[in-house]
Amino acid sequence: MKKFLAYFSITVFLIIGCYVAKDMSKLPSTFDGTKVNVVDLYNNPEKYETNDADGVANIMVKETIDKTHAINAVTAIVFDFRGYDTLGESFVLFTAISGTVVILRNALKGRADKDE
Amino acid sequence: MSKKEIKVKNYIIKTAADFFAPIGLILGIYVILHGHLSPGGGFQGGVLVASAAVLIYLGYGYEKATKTLNVNLLKKSESIAALMYSFFALLGIFYAANFCRNVFYNVGKPGDLFSSGTIFLMNFAVGYKVLTGIGFLILLMFGLLNNEEA
Repeated sequence: MKKFLAYFSITVFLIIGCYVAKDMSKLPSTFDGTKVNVVDLYNNPEKYETNDADGVANIMVKETIDKTHAINAVTAIVFDFRGYDTLGESFVLFTAISGTVVILRNALKGRADKDE
Repeated sequence: MSKKEIKVKNYIIKTAADFFAPIGLILGIYVILHGHLSPGGGFQGGVLVASAAVLIYLGYGYEKATKTLNVNLLKKSESIAALMYSFFALLGIFYAANFCRNVFYNVGKPGDLFSSGTIFLMNFAVGYKVLTGIGFLILLMFGLLNNEEA
């Protein structure tokens, strides 16, 4: 029963993943760099127009207050646009603390036995 | 002779800890709560609050630090904060949008303390998680140090 559940969930994940990948390939790419003139940007970077640069970064910089109502743009990016990143970061901290608990508990036990 | 020197040192460290621990606590909680308005955020404010545990240990020793800060409660509340963050991220799915979506961002004016929806709640969850986790880690390591000396 356990094996069946595991294989069933893996197949469901795979089917949904394939469907999403197929669906996402039809979407327009967020940043393909076709509008960026690299030579012009290298020669005079101060006069280069950045208003019509395409991509997610443009939205993040210009529409943070409209989209999130947060004044601090860094927090808006870390906790809203990049919420997955912060989730992973906090679980990395959780794993590190669990590891130190496992190591230091054995050390503390050994020390206590020696003292007695 | 040596005992007298240690006593004088203890008084200085104790008064310094008494003076600086409340400042660190209040500054850390301010940085956590105002993460979406001013520089800082959950991680930085949590570490600032956890520095109060170090000051209590330096001033009063390991036994008093473990008496004032319950170690088991810290460990449990860290996992509770991790679950809190996942719950606030799942709110987007309950409101029929994608994961980590900011569903009620327009609750207040931009600039208020309770504005920016789930950003405020997630910030608080991460700050709570970091302050309990780092405080627990510091107390655990100082316990090992204490045993080694004795």
